[in-house]
Amino acid sequence: MIAYKFLRPDGTSVFTRYTWPLPDDGPGPWVDAEVDPCRSGIHACRRADLPLWLGRSLYEIELEGEVREEATKVVAPRARLLRRIDAWDESTRDEYTRMCADRAHELARAADLAGWDAVVEPSVPEGPALLGFVAARIAEKISGADAYHAERRHQADWLADRLGL
Amino acid sequence: MPEAPLKERTASAEEVELLARLRAGDERAFEALVDRHYGTMLAVARTHVSSRAVAEEVVQEAWLGVVKGLERFEGRSSLATWIMRIVVNIAKTRGVREARSVPYASLAPEGQEAAVEPERFRGPGDAFPGHWRAYPGNWNNVPEEVLYERDTLRVAMEAIAELPPAQRAVITMRDVQGCRADEVCAALEVSDGNQRVLLHRARSRVRAALERHFDG
Amino acid sequence: MAESHDHVSCSEVVELVTDYLERSLPPEEAALFEQHLNFCDGCVWYVDQIQTTVETVGRIEPEEVPPEVRSQLLAAFRDWKRS
Repeated sequence: MIAYKFLRPDGTSVFTRYTWPLPDDGPGPWVDAEVDPCRSGIHACRRADLPLWLGRSLYEIELEGEVREEATKVVAPRARLLRRIDAWDESTRDEYTRMCADRAHELARAADLAGWDAVVEPSVPEGPALLGFVAARIAEKISGADAYHAERRHQADWLADRLGL
Repeated sequence: MPEAPLKERTASAEEVELLARLRAGDERAFEALVDRHYGTMLAVARTHVSSRAVAEEVVQEAWLGVVKGLERFEGRSSLATWIMRIVVNIAKTRGVREARSVPYASLAPEGQEAAVEPERFRGPGDAFPGHWRAYPGNWNNVPEEVLYERDTLRVAMEAIAELPPAQRAVITMRDVQGCRADEVCAALEVSDGNQRVLLHRARSRVRAALERHFDG
Repeated sequence: MAESHDHVSCSEVVELVTDYLERSLPPEEAALFEQHLNFCDGCVWYVDQIQTTVETVGRIEPEEVPPEVRSQLLAAFRDWKRS
């Protein structure tokens, strides 16, 4: 199964700090989940999950073995990084952040939520992950959980389209 | 919802060796054992007796019990658990006799206790309720010498000394002594869930004390 | 369980941190916890503070055994040895 994984700029996992062997002119070597048994496997994103896990570097990852599908991620016993998705770079990150900020403003101003709107610009320097949440959370404030999911779907579509996934 | 008890682990290989040395009368091994557990035993005794002086008596009595029981100890629990259980049993008896005991029920966490003052988060009527009004400090910016200096340790020790007895016992066993969760549960006769709540509250209070110290 | 099924707030995170570090959070809550940390520097720093607190407490030296106590206990140990 092909999925996606965000890593820190130094190639380590965001939460476990595991140093992934990176793809270099071809897929990286297979990694088994024993690296951190308490984690119950290697975590990865489906396309729809991307907005929730935005990080600095994005990779395409191939999963092997019994893949468990959870609400916002997939978990596999074995995986290898196939290629870095170079389109996810500084400029795309900024574009996405601005897209979410514009959406957040649009929603908040239409609903007269000045307090919520005021948080948007100061949050921009903290980047795409935060702004994605801000926009979705404002949507939820106005129209409930369904609107939150719809906003996240829109974000995922934007990413898949922009990154050619 | 009833919780499944944590499976208690038996004495480790290292402990089996230590036991052999103790039974052979190795005084240095005994002294090391006393040094290692004395402070924790005091904290555990204080969950049932309110005065430090009485706790010291309890601990001394417990050590006599440990010495007498060395031959019979079967290693079905870890050494630490076994020692703390002796302390608890003696402390309970002393506590009841003195009629000034900390009620046993108070070992279960009481009521609510916020890890961080609620005012530090946006309120229910605010935008983004529940989020930090202002971020806490990034302690990666605290110089290592400061993190490691005696003053910092002293602040943590004082914070622990001021904890309610049950919280003090749990954080002492878990984070000072390095016992496992199952050892704490078996020794103090608390559920895993309660042990975690006590640990959570204790760590939150110590963190707050360190924060006040670093923020100056 | 968290207030929303889709996200946790910072005030919830500071209450969940011990369970998270103990690996006692149910998978759905752990996922929400991590999603939050993914965008919230404040909570990343808070969790780091808790971990630093645990490390600091771990460096506390065992309490000193008063010399009289030590000699009394050693005496008891020797008595037991003899019998």
